Amino acid sequence: MAADLLREAGARKWFLGLAVAITLLLLALLGGLRLEVVDGALAATRLFGKALFTPIRAADIALRPVFIAASYLIFYGGMAFGLIACSDFAPALLSPGRIEHLLALPVRRWELLAGTFLGVLLLGLLGATYGAGGLLVILGFKTGVWTWHPLLAAALAAVGFATVYAGMLAAAVFVRSAAVSAAVGALLLVSGILAGNRRALLTTMSEGPGQLVFAAWTRVMPPLSTLAETAADVAAGSPVAVGQVGTVVGECALFTAGALAVAVWRFEQRDF
Amino acid sequence: MTPALEATDLHKRYRRWMFGRAGQDALRGLDLRVPRGTAFGLIGPNGAGKTTFIKCLLGIAWPDRGTVRLLDSSPEDPAVRARVGYLPERLHLPGAWRPPAFLRAVGRLKGLRVTADELRTLLARVGLLESAERRIGGFSKGMRQRLGLAAALLGSPELLVLDEPTDGVDPLGRVEVRRILESELARGATLFVNSHLLSETERLCGRIGILSGGRLLREGPLDALCRAEASWAVRFAPGADGAALVAAGFRPAGDGTFHLDAPDAAALNAALDRARVAGALLVELTRASRDLEDVLAEALRAAA
Repeated sequence: MAADLLREAGARKWFLGLAVAITLLLLALLGGLRLEVVDGALAATRLFGKALFTPIRAADIALRPVFIAASYLIFYGGMAFGLIACSDFAPALLSPGRIEHLLALPVRRWELLAGTFLGVLLLGLLGATYGAGGLLVILGFKTGVWTWHPLLAAALAAVGFATVYAGMLAAAVFVRSAAVSAAVGALLLVSGILAGNRRALLTTMSEGPGQLVFAAWTRVMPPLSTLAETAADVAAGSPVAVGQVGTVVGECALFTAGALAVAVWRFEQRDF
Repeated sequence: MTPALEATDLHKRYRRWMFGRAGQDALRGLDLRVPRGTAFGLIGPNGAGKTTFIKCLLGIAWPDRGTVRLLDSSPEDPAVRARVGYLPERLHLPGAWRPPAFLRAVGRLKGLRVTADELRTLLARVGLLESAERRIGGFSKGMRQRLGLAAALLGSPELLVLDEPTDGVDPLGRVEVRRILESELARGATLFVNSHLLSETERLCGRIGILSGGRLLREGPLDALCRAEASWAVRFAPGADGAALVAAGFRPAGDGTFHLDAPDAAALNAALDRARVAGALLVELTRASRDLEDVLAEALRAAA
């Protein structure tokens, strides 16, 4: 199922467009980024001819903002793209004439959902890895700074997208609609950003039912903004506690497991 | 030998959980056994419950009550479904794919390793070999139906469940599809066909079930269903006195044939004796048979 979903994605203009866009962006960076490295230090960073950072510093330090920006772009940009481009996968799976055919094949129902989820997860991982990998190869050749941290950050971005997609998949099992699926994804993304900043936001709210509802809602939502910040820190090579990464990934994984459990429960019961 | 499929006291009600509307009974105590190696045709009006029955049969919908056995096992068992080929009424196909990729994907999900030669043979069998490199999105309805049939035939299944297999297929294509299904039957496969095309069903299926309102109204061998037990077709030698024959109880049916309703052998012979007395000479006597359309209409009238 996952392989078939990848094949289906490959035939969609959305994903071809994404691949072309990432490639063009990387090529633009390759041709336009002017970097001069002197004795291992970055003398000046010029992006399309404009100086970015004036002070002379170590190349890996100077590149941190670039990696951080790329990490946020991959995390939120990739997620926004995925919300729209992947919203149709589950409704298409459940479309009349297709789901009947699939259910009559020797495949268990949960396997169909798991295959769809894994396919989308792989798709997210491939896209994020392609973007992050291309960037680090370009910067690696230009500056001599080779680091695998952006790849790890890309993997965290894929975890974030998988979390949101689990909710989208569950929504599609209840209501077979790409629009509803995308709307649920957008709601989860916004809720996830709020959940990551819940403590700070709660202090700004006056006590009452509104605060209670907000506290309860953001408690069960995955802390996506925290995951994005962690991914950015990892991409930049900043020191990050393993426990902190484990906690935020664990919270997202818990939400994903819960959403998938609901999706499978409903899917097993449904008539088609 | 156990039947290929067996349904006992099958009930299915589609509930509408919004706005408090009442549900609709799709199946109401359906009992059906289809022997292995036979071709069974399920016919009935729209909304009779034919597709729902197929869905319950294959584990696509869950019956509220009753049991279903498929090849002596539960339809929930994937190993059993691997021995079944299914063509849904409106098969949704990936438009950007080409037929070999689609068939390979179905084969993978069936746990089959389909070689390129096998694919070519299968595509040639359903008449799609020349279109093998075209995208499915550009296929006509009939071509899609043929491709769906090819997917159902993958792995030489023991049971073929076909929902409107010739829907959208041109007349010559129907003949081809019928030949394929006849060869499957000759191989030993069981066919379960759900079709609106009564003439197609009549040509292919040896057993027929008539479903209406979720109930099986009639079921049995085609010839038994179409045979009119109390009606006879009688042909007399030229020169018979038509008025005398009508007086003897015969009804003219055109082209020199008369129909006679006789509930038993005594009544039949008494009527023939009256005809002979009137000078008519019997040359042919056969049981009058009806086509499936008449049988369906009569069954529906009786049920109403």
